This record gives sequence, structure tokens and C-alpha cells, in this order.
Amino acid sequence: MAARGVNLATEAGIEVGSFRDPDSRVLVTADGVFRVLSDDGLAEWEALVATPLWRELQEDGSVVATERVDLDALPSGLATGAAAALRHARVRFVSYPYEWTFSMLQDAALAHLRLNRRALDADLTLKDASSYNVQWLGSRPVFVDVGSFERLREGEPWAGYRQFCMLFLYPLLLQAHKDLPFHALLRGSLEGIPPHDARAVFSTSRDRLRKGVLANVVLHARLEDRYADVSGGEVKRQMRGAGFGKALLDANLRKLEKLVGGLRWRAGETAWTGYGEHNTYDDASAARKAEFVREAAARRTGGLTWDVGCNDGTYARIAAESADYVVALDADHATVDALYRALRDEGRPDILPLVVDVTDPSPGLGWRGLERAPLERRGTPDLTLCLALVHHVTITGNVPVREFVGWLASLDSALVIEFPDRSDPMVQKLLSGKPDRANPDYDKAGFEAALGERFQVDRMQPVSETRTLYEARPRA
Amino acid sequence: MNLVAYLDPGTGSMLVQLLVGGVAAAGVVARLYWDRLLRLLRIRKDKPELSQAEPDR
Repeated sequence: MAARGVNLATEAGIEVGSFRDPDSRVLVTADGVFRVLSDDGLAEWEALVATPLWRELQEDGSVVATERVDLDALPSGLATGAAAALRHARVRFVSYPYEWTFSMLQDAALAHLRLNRRALDADLTLKDASSYNVQWLGSRPVFVDVGSFERLREGEPWAGYRQFCMLFLYPLLLQAHKDLPFHALLRGSLEGIPPHDARAVFSTSRDRLRKGVLANVVLHARLEDRYADVSGGEVKRQMRGAGFGKALLDANLRKLEKLVGGLRWRAGETAWTGYGEHNTYDDASAARKAEFVREAAARRTGGLTWDVGCNDGTYARIAAESADYVVALDADHATVDALYRALRDEGRPDILPLVVDVTDPSPGLGWRGLERAPLERRGTPDLTLCLALVHHVTITGNVPVREFVGWLASLDSALVIEFPDRSDPMVQKLLSGKPDRANPDYDKAGFEAALGERFQVDRMQPVSETRTLYEARPRA
Repeated sequence: MNLVAYLDPGTGSMLVQLLVGGVAAAGVVARLYWDRLLRLLRIRKDKPELSQAEPDR
């Protein structure tokens, strides 16, 4: 589900991220997002829409808006062998679990478990448990894989349990119990964290007594070893014979819901970690800066805004007064988590907070590097805010000023950027540990020259003694 | 109906679901082991249990 000028499809037109499920494939065309069903896929879809649950899920928005369309609606050649086609509402900006915060992954996990329990009530189940099947409408999780629903086969254990552990539960347990960030682990393996790897981290007996660890991690890894060569069919038959069924499935989902809901990441609950940067302003400066951003945003109503280095989201909120949708990016996990929780509690559908370090943004991953798209290919912004950021990227991140401006220009978007000069207290702090001649390209004249090469500067305004704001458009 | 799931749940992952459910699972686990006990005591006819998968020939 990509946007604006993006083609993540293979030559056959299939969205690469969906090709593992042959009964339900997704293709993204200029006309929309389509799902092509096989005969088996169609049978499951018909079972789903026949339940009262389907209407409820569409009305309360927990599953992406979906309608059945004629096969003629598919681009020519793509309907071959298809039994039916569905059309989905577009996701405004696609994001991936390795960009979410702890609380986002937790809420996505809870949404998944609750959805599965509602499915059970309707004699359906979710056949998998991939966190990639959850997307966000601002601060609200939406389940997008309609092809996951299938009729319940009485007596069978949940096929998605292992995947739930690898992609939801283990990342949450590692962050909550060990303060181990899950982003690098999930970015490193699209399948998630295997039971063995999780067990290796929970190595002490104290770790193993933590909630959820003994059964879901330690015993899970041990049973996986022990029964690696045992065929699943016979075990399934015996479990069914012993009375494994819907009631136990539901009990398991409830237990997992309680476990996941009870997890807390303490570091994430501390106050705004980026607050120091805000202290560099007096009230008048902050007001001037807010007004500058508000005016720039109002010149371009609608569209997508990126707030790169969003901190506590103050300016993302101002941009959202004019933009349709704001993607708020920051490298600091705890800061973005606090922002997410605030937005969620307000029920904001128009600001999506993500943990992204612009000096190392999400690349293309998976099969042929196409299964998960790079950040910039999921819908480029109409307006980019880059406030109190350039010094972090160029001095701390050592990205040359000209290179950073070049990246911003590659987004082909209008720009509001703040430049603190070398005498700024924050810049001095960042430079203090470095040799005297470090980052010689970091000065106001050099920055303005680099900006002027790639952008037409429409407006500039000092906001404090050491800081200047620029509003600019990319040169053709 | 598609009987072969595209996702292999894994045998160990199926069994651990008997441990996650807590009290609700206790009855199922008890029956699973009661069947085995009866077989062990030859009260119930022996059936192949948790057999190793046949190697390919």
C-alpha cells in the first residue's frame, strides 16, 4: 500500500510484501489497492462477510475499509486465475514495526489479540500474527490483512502463536524487562526474534521468573528443540483428542492479552527526553517560531507533512492544523513513545509518530529489497519541517551540511528549516568534545550557500540571537 | 478448503500452547498424559504417539 508515484510491485504487479500467502495477494495500482483471491481465498472471504462480525469490524474501523469489486477492475493480465478481487482503502502512510514505539507495538499486539478473540466468537480465526498486518491511522491501529481471516478448524492450536511471539511478544518483553531496543532486531530480521534468540537474552533465573518469560520464551525454545523432528500432524491429533478447542484458544488469547497489557517500559515513561533543546528558547522566540511554522503550513493546505526531528510534537501539531496528515519522525525512542501516548489519548487520527534516525533511515528490506519499502518511497512529503535538527545530523552524525541539504532536496518538498549558528549554546555543547576545527562546513554562510543551491528561499527570519528560520521551495 | 496452512506453526509451538493457557489448559494436559499412562499400563491399546517423522528414502 504505497503512495504517490511509488511502484513496489514485481513485474507481475504483485505487492511483494504479500506474496507469501498465495490465496490472497495484494497489488497496488494507480486505481487503488487490490487484493486478488484464489478459490480458497474466496471461500474464506465469503465465510467472513457472512458473519455479523464483518459489518462490526468495518463500522468500528478495526479492519481497513474493504469492498468486493469485479475482476474487470483489475489491470489487464492480473485477473488471470483469480477467483475474486477486493479493493481496500489506501493507508495514508505505511509504517513498519521497526519504526514503532514500545507503546505502539503493544497497542498493535493488543488490537491483534482482541481481533482474534472476536473472530473466535464468530467461529473464525486469524491464521497468522504478523505485526506487518497492522498499520496506523494516526495514533489508531488498523488491521489490513483481510486474507488472514479463515474458518476455525475445531481442535487445532493457533498457527500464528509462534509468529505472535517472534514479532510482537518477544520484542515487547525484551524492551520491557531488559530495556533492549527492538528496532535493530526487527529491522535485522523480518521474521522477528526466534525463541532461541529470545531465550539467550533471558539468561538468568531472575529473568526467567519475569512475567511471561518461562512459558512463552524458555519452555517454548526448549519444546521447539525437543520436538524439532516430530511431525505436527500427530501432535495436533492428540491435542484435539485431549480436548484442545475453542475454549482453550480463547483462554490463551486472554492470557496473552493480560500479559501484553501489563508490560511497562520504564525508561519510556520518564519525561520528555529532548526537553533540553526547548530550554534554549524564551517564550517570545518560541512564539515567533510557532508563527513561522503555522504560516508556512497554511500556504500549503492538505497534503502530507514530515516533521523530521519532531521532539515532543509541538510543531507537528501546528502543521496538522493545515496538512491532511503529518508523519512525525525522531530518533529518540522515549520521546516518540511519549508523543504517541499523548496523541493516542487525544484520539488523533492525523499525526503518525515514528522512531526514525534520518542519518540511517529505514532501507528496502526482504526479497529483492522490495518487501519493505525505504522510508522515502512510501509517500514523499509536500512540506518538510526540519527544526532544531541540522546541528545534530551534521555535528553529531557527521553528515556534511551540503549532503544533508541534498537529501532534503531529494524529497522534492517545500522546506522549513532552522539553523543555529556556531555560537548557539546547543551547537557549542555538541562541538565541545570535538577538536577545534571539527565540522568546518558548519557555519551560517556555508549553510545558506548550500541551501541556495538546491532551494529557492522565500523567507528567512531570526528567531533568537543564534537561530534563523528559512522557508524554501526546491529548485526545478 | 486449504488444509495445508502456509504458515507452519511448529510442533513445539503447538505444545507450548498447552502451557500458556494456565488453569484452562490443565484439563487438556491431564487428559493427554492420562491417555499416555493408560497406554503405558496397557489398559488402552497402543497407538503410535509423537512418532519421529519418517526420513525420506
